[in-house]
Amino acid sequence: MRTVLILFGNELRRFLHDKTALSLTFLVPVVLIYIFGHVFGVNEGGGGPTGIPIALVSATDAPVVATITAALQKEKAFKVLTTEKQMDKEVPLTEARVREKMKAGSLRFALIFPPDTQGDESFGLKLKFLHNPRNEIETQTVTGLVQKTIYTSAPQALLLSLQKKGANFIGQENFDQFNHAIASAVAQGFGGDADEIYASLGKGDFGLDADGGGAGPSLFESLIKIDSEQVGGRQVKSSMATRSVGGWAIMFLLFSLSGAATSLFDEKKAGLFQRLLAAPVRRTHILWSKYLFGMFVGMVQLSALFLAGSLLFGIDITTNFGNLLLICLGASMACVSFGMLLAAVSPSSAAASGLGTFLILTMSAIGGAWFPTSFMPEFIQKLSKLTIVYWSLDGFIKVLWANCTTLELLPTLAILAGIAVVVNVFSIWRFNHGQIFE
Amino acid sequence: MVLTIKNLSKRYGSTVALKDVSLALEPGEFFGLLGPNGAGKTTLMSLVAGIRPPDSGEILLAGEKFQHERVEQRLQLGFVPQALALYDELSGEENLRLFGRLYGLRGALLRERVEEGLLAAQLQDRRRDQVKTYSGGMRRRLNVVAAILHRPKLLLCDEPTVGVDPQSRNAIFEFVQKLNDDGMTIVYSTHYMEEATRLCSRIGIIDHGQLLALGTLDELLVQLPFSDQIRLARHETVTAQLGALREFGVMVETEEAFVLTPRSELRLSDFFAATERLGLSYRHIAVTRPTLENVFLHLTGKTLRDA
Repeated sequence: MRTVLILFGNELRRFLHDKTALSLTFLVPVVLIYIFGHVFGVNEGGGGPTGIPIALVSATDAPVVATITAALQKEKAFKVLTTEKQMDKEVPLTEARVREKMKAGSLRFALIFPPDTQGDESFGLKLKFLHNPRNEIETQTVTGLVQKTIYTSAPQALLLSLQKKGANFIGQENFDQFNHAIASAVAQGFGGDADEIYASLGKGDFGLDADGGGAGPSLFESLIKIDSEQVGGRQVKSSMATRSVGGWAIMFLLFSLSGAATSLFDEKKAGLFQRLLAAPVRRTHILWSKYLFGMFVGMVQLSALFLAGSLLFGIDITTNFGNLLLICLGASMACVSFGMLLAAVSPSSAAASGLGTFLILTMSAIGGAWFPTSFMPEFIQKLSKLTIVYWSLDGFIKVLWANCTTLELLPTLAILAGIAVVVNVFSIWRFNHGQIFE
Repeated sequence: MVLTIKNLSKRYGSTVALKDVSLALEPGEFFGLLGPNGAGKTTLMSLVAGIRPPDSGEILLAGEKFQHERVEQRLQLGFVPQALALYDELSGEENLRLFGRLYGLRGALLRERVEEGLLAAQLQDRRRDQVKTYSGGMRRRLNVVAAILHRPKLLLCDEPTVGVDPQSRNAIFEFVQKLNDDGMTIVYSTHYMEEATRLCSRIGIIDHGQLLALGTLDELLVQLPFSDQIRLARHETVTAQLGALREFGVMVETEEAFVLTPRSELRLSDFFAATERLGLSYRHIAVTRPTLENVFLHLTGKTLRDA
């Protein structure tokens, strides 16, 4: 037992001296729990999406518009937009403008109230729901939430409209008498105050709603017609796979490239840099060779993953193949830079590996590789735009699903290239002033 | 001169790794750099090899100023690092081809040099095996050969026999000796006195980043205040007379023997007459020539092993 205790003490001492192991054991899990907690909205009162922008455009002054608008504004999942800023002025959104924004990808959902939303001659509602389903999970969730909100809030407005139609048809005086008679009959038959029942009838409150009125959604589905229309993107065979393959591909690429970058430490340990630098070889030659190799691995790996996606899930990679290669190139550049950065700032292979795992998991989580960013708290959504994963994913969706042209891809490519350049300049500076070549 | 070093200095933070080292090498010399671990040998080698720039001082290669950023100047050099700087996943042949190509060799010349290298390293039969399957000796030989494919004028060997078995060590000695015989100038760093004595025509003794002495073995030994040492076996008759023997000089006790460094005016005939009187057998007494170890001890006050 004494020997076991001596060896145990030795293990403990070595562990306490190893800062990397210490941080991986204690600090990293705590930070990851904090980040994942925020990503999945643990502190946001039950989680779920928050602040998803939805535009409302109304071409009618029907009272139901105000009712539904108010209900959507109450829903924390949505950020209701009815105007936009143009030349320092807030101007109302139009359907044409909304469609434009949706095609550009800056807006993904809109509810249009057409002029005949609530016709004078008919009973019921007609609405148009526009969506840009670049993320399947988000689209399904938002569609469900919009329907629920409408079915919950619209019945009262509909029955008020029915009251108005009745009054117009038989005259207000006759209709008041009719309502009084109904209220008295209800009070006699089922109890309650006849005056209160009369007042409720006048406001359209028949005690019918989607939640508890007994009418059920099916009744409202027949009364409320929501025309759904996809704006932007194409109808693809495997929509879910098409939109999520990029996220997984980029995460695996980051893992393999960060692993390749840590090989710098093995080569240093083996004395290979000494031999190389004693030959007609510069430090920059070594770094560029690593960078090019990383790019090659990145391109091959992404190609293999998309090819597998095409063969296994029917993802269409041929229609926009040239642009897919371009975005793979941009993503590879940025990911290799990340790997080089890891090697440049880490004191050892183990530290680079630990830091890499931590950053890749964090970037994948907040960058949208696992989960739509719109489901995350707003500050995480802002943070996500600082990650390689977010922009790579944006590029893949633009190519595979939105079928964007090279010109439309340029902003995403520029951001990925910008990340690569900035990170590389810093890494090269670190390599020249650090210990890796010493 | 093949190599001229003038007032070379290098610091790592607050540590002085090399201080004002100057030295000049004639073509065809086999120069040994002897010093303990941490003496500055590897730093000096790395500066001459162009791996890192000096803080101050100058290096001339064949009379031309050696500039760290002019990588083409390194074609004149070969460098055998202390570590086994080889790609383990590649075969011996692939390693040689890679390093040959980095030194600008190609085509038939590259093939020819790789063949010669494999032959010299005695690895023809294992040429296609991964280096990680090689024995330590095989790797060490390949490590040396990889540095000379381009036939440099100057070969820098930084402790090339560290951790090598005696047989492989001898093979490396013979190999570098042959290179030197063929006209290659060699700088060979070691902390083994025997290697420096066996191989080098001129030796520099380095400690704490400073070159303490420089010359041929004889020139270095001449610096000692004595010319011979007397070894006395650890025998009971000797042990019994230690007090009397100490009067003839400084007695040092080692594991194998007592080593007497005689006073400068002592005549050996007087010493042997005294031993006869003390009843010591001649079989327990041997007169030996001093070694580089004595020079190092004389210069630094410590042995190579202790330094």
